[in-house]
Amino acid sequence: MSARVMMMDEPGRVALLMGNEAIARGAIEAGVSVAAGYPGTPSSEIGDALSQVADALGFYFEWSTNEKVALEVAFGASMCNQRSIVSMKHVGLNVALDILNLISLRGVRGGLVLVSADDPSQHSSGQEQDNRWLAKMNCVPVLEPSTPQEAKEYTRYAFELSERRRTPVMVRTVTRLSHMRGKVTLGPISREKRMAEFDWEGFSYRVSGFDRLFRREKELNDKLKLIQEDFEELNLNLLKMGGDERFGFIGAGLSFNYAHDAVRRLGIEKEAAYLKLATSHPIPQRLVSRLIGGVDRLLVVEEVDPFVELHVRALAKEVNPKLEVYGRMSGHLPGEGELSPQILGEALARIFNLENPYRRRSELEERVRGTIFERMLTFCAGCPHRATIYALKSAVIKVRGDPRRVVVNGDIGCYGLAHTPPLNFEDTYFCMGASIGVSQGMRHVGVDCISLIGDGTFLHAGIPGLINSVYNQADIKVVIADNQTIAMTGFQPHAGSGKTATGKPTRRVLIEDIARACGVDQVEVVDPYNLREAEEAFIRMLESKGVSVVIARRICATEAVRMLRPRRPTPYRVDEDVCIGCRLCLNTFGCPALEWDGEKGLASVNETLCMGCGVCSQICPQGAIGRAGAV
Amino acid sequence: MRPFKLVISGVGGQGTLLASRLLAEAAIRSGLDVIIGETYGMAQRGGPVMGHLQIGGEDRSPQIPPGEADALLGFEEAEAVRRGAVYLKEGGLAIVNTRRLHPVEVISGMAEYPSRDALMALLSEVTDNIVSFDATALAEEAGDPVTTNVVMLGALCASGILPFQEELLLETMRESVPARYLDVNLKAFILGKKAFTNHKRRQTGIQK
Ligand code: SF4
Ligand code: SF4
Repeated sequence: MSARVMMMDEPGRVALLMGNEAIARGAIEAGVSVAAGYPGTPSSEIGDALSQVADALGFYFEWSTNEKVALEVAFGASMCNQRSIVSMKHVGLNVALDILNLISLRGVRGGLVLVSADDPSQHSSGQEQDNRWLAKMNCVPVLEPSTPQEAKEYTRYAFELSERRRTPVMVRTVTRLSHMRGKVTLGPISREKRMAEFDWEGFSYRVSGFDRLFRREKELNDKLKLIQEDFEELNLNLLKMGGDERFGFIGAGLSFNYAHDAVRRLGIEKEAAYLKLATSHPIPQRLVSRLIGGVDRLLVVEEVDPFVELHVRALAKEVNPKLEVYGRMSGHLPGEGELSPQILGEALARIFNLENPYRRRSELEERVRGTIFERMLTFCAGCPHRATIYALKSAVIKVRGDPRRVVVNGDIGCYGLAHTPPLNFEDTYFCMGASIGVSQGMRHVGVDCISLIGDGTFLHAGIPGLINSVYNQADIKVVIADNQTIAMTGFQPHAGSGKTATGKPTRRVLIEDIARACGVDQVEVVDPYNLREAEEAFIRMLESKGVSVVIARRICATEAVRMLRPRRPTPYRVDEDVCIGCRLCLNTFGCPALEWDGEKGLASVNETLCMGCGVCSQICPQGAIGRAGAV
Repeated sequence: MRPFKLVISGVGGQGTLLASRLLAEAAIRSGLDVIIGETYGMAQRGGPVMGHLQIGGEDRSPQIPPGEADALLGFEEAEAVRRGAVYLKEGGLAIVNTRRLHPVEVISGMAEYPSRDALMALLSEVTDNIVSFDATALAEEAGDPVTTNVVMLGALCASGILPFQEELLLETMRESVPARYLDVNLKAFILGKKAFTNHKRRQTGIQK
């Protein structure tokens, strides 16, 4: 359904789009010619949407190996006068940062838009990170939309601004906007086809001379001043001020909505002036000054850090030193975590001395929490990672006696859930590829450990670490849980999948070849669905000298079932005459398709959830579980 | 028009996202404004999911504040109560699938699934307008447990609370559901409608 909408060239037509799809659509309307990205929640659907229509609309899309490469690909196209967009989750920008700074310093030619999807409250991230700081540090202007419609419009405007001021432009979205859906009025799709020609004047040392191109700090600072002027007049920044209000608020991006709604609910619309801020960097100082000069009290509402608030406080010192500023710094809004209509309602009630409208429900929510379990995340039914980790844990117990004798350094991906019950077999995970590096430090000081990393993550950031271990003789043990897709973010393909982002077959990059080429002493590939075979390989790994890699390869169960559709896998079944109700399959393995039949005191398999992987049948010591039809 | 606000809660993989999208598309067809907010961090892996659907009105936030939802579609018993108790307005309509999905805490014996009485007691603090039945069984009867979401939509439609015609929803379904699944889905929809009316009839019967 969404691919059809993405391609629709019917200006004025209204469609239901997700924030991320709207950003993709904005790029399409702007005539993007190269798009790249690395999947990461909450940004992934931008690339998903673009990948579906790239061929049909005649632009190029790729899932790059990592964010830095993605940004470089986009920049390469930009230097040749093509419009390009690159999307990533907030922490992806940490990886891409090395080149971002140079792009803004040297400037762009074709419009280059960088979408940063920040994740307040860490719905699916290891940290909160406000990428507006990174944008500021690198002199990149930031646009913050608040609705899917704006997400599309701001993206289009970002291309125009980028080209006009020769700078990369960041469109910053947050999880709630990326995943929200709303009505979007489509615009025309640009059909402009530009000649792809390298801008020799703009970028070539040979043509323009090293000195002219190299030092550009002053030029960059001047550029930012011009952009600030643009933003002072920009009609995307909305100031609503009657003149009688003594209170005002500034809402940046999505969080403007929360304050807007809360003010209405409390019935204080008439008393509140506001600035709906679309451009959080550089701050349009004159515009902000108009608001803060006219009120006594000001609430600043923004996602993650007090970025605007800090600037506003500095500005208020000159413009209105008596101004009382409320926000994340004053404690009227929480210092961390995502905002919500409820939080704004409570904060405004406090500021205006009104009763907290949500007190009763908050109390009830507390009691709900006391009664209902949390529903922790777990591997899907049939997930090969569960089998890999089960086999790895058994191997460690056999060789080292105690699962706590080794530190398990995990990494970013579905297998990162190895720490969850009942397997509980993972101690750390940090950021893409870190499992391989931190293990080396542990080895050098004599601490026994294992690196657990996935295929996508290994290709993204694991290879230099592996080379380092060989070179510096850190005898690490690396388990690569290879399910042939980037499962966590929605099953995007990668270099090891054998197909491109747009579904074309391509040469498969084999992890075992890489490991051998890096000089790893022992490399094995096993199928985790065969528990015994996998366990034996892990035992050999644990007993080996030198750097050792075991690749546990089996396609992601969810992806496998998707490919099987509409057929379903043949489920397994518990033979009630053989099961003795020991709960071993449930308590040690815990596949969500397994259930406990309290009345009978026996295990059973939920046939609608079962993926037919058969691993539970290898765990049951009684041999009570078998393929349906066979028992 | 008074805005209509609906919270859909369930577990990853239950088709809650599709349900809210079908409703939203139908609302757009009838010319209404609509926004959906979705919470699905890692839906694929057994986590809780929640959708907030708002039709009409002037709110801009993708989340419905506590105590303001007109209706709740709970795809799983505990998840229904988890969200209903917070978001449903006093006396709002709760449609609850009684089929339980055990989380890993329960499967591996670390926690107990709360009793039906304990759960319903919490929900009753905000409403007694609760319609509950095994929607997954009805989906199975229709031919595919995956259509549980459509059973739930059928029940919601039968309640008469939606601000648009049932036909618009059916039209949206016909266009977005692949042809080979359409029959099963339509059957599921009708079973859901029946389940709602039967339940209501029983309720009024008891009161008499
Ligand atoms: S065969 Fe066993 S382990 Fe595999 S999905 Fe079915 S119940 Fe789970
Ligand atoms: S999506 Fe795939 S890899 Fe991730 S938990 Fe599910 S089966 Fe495992």
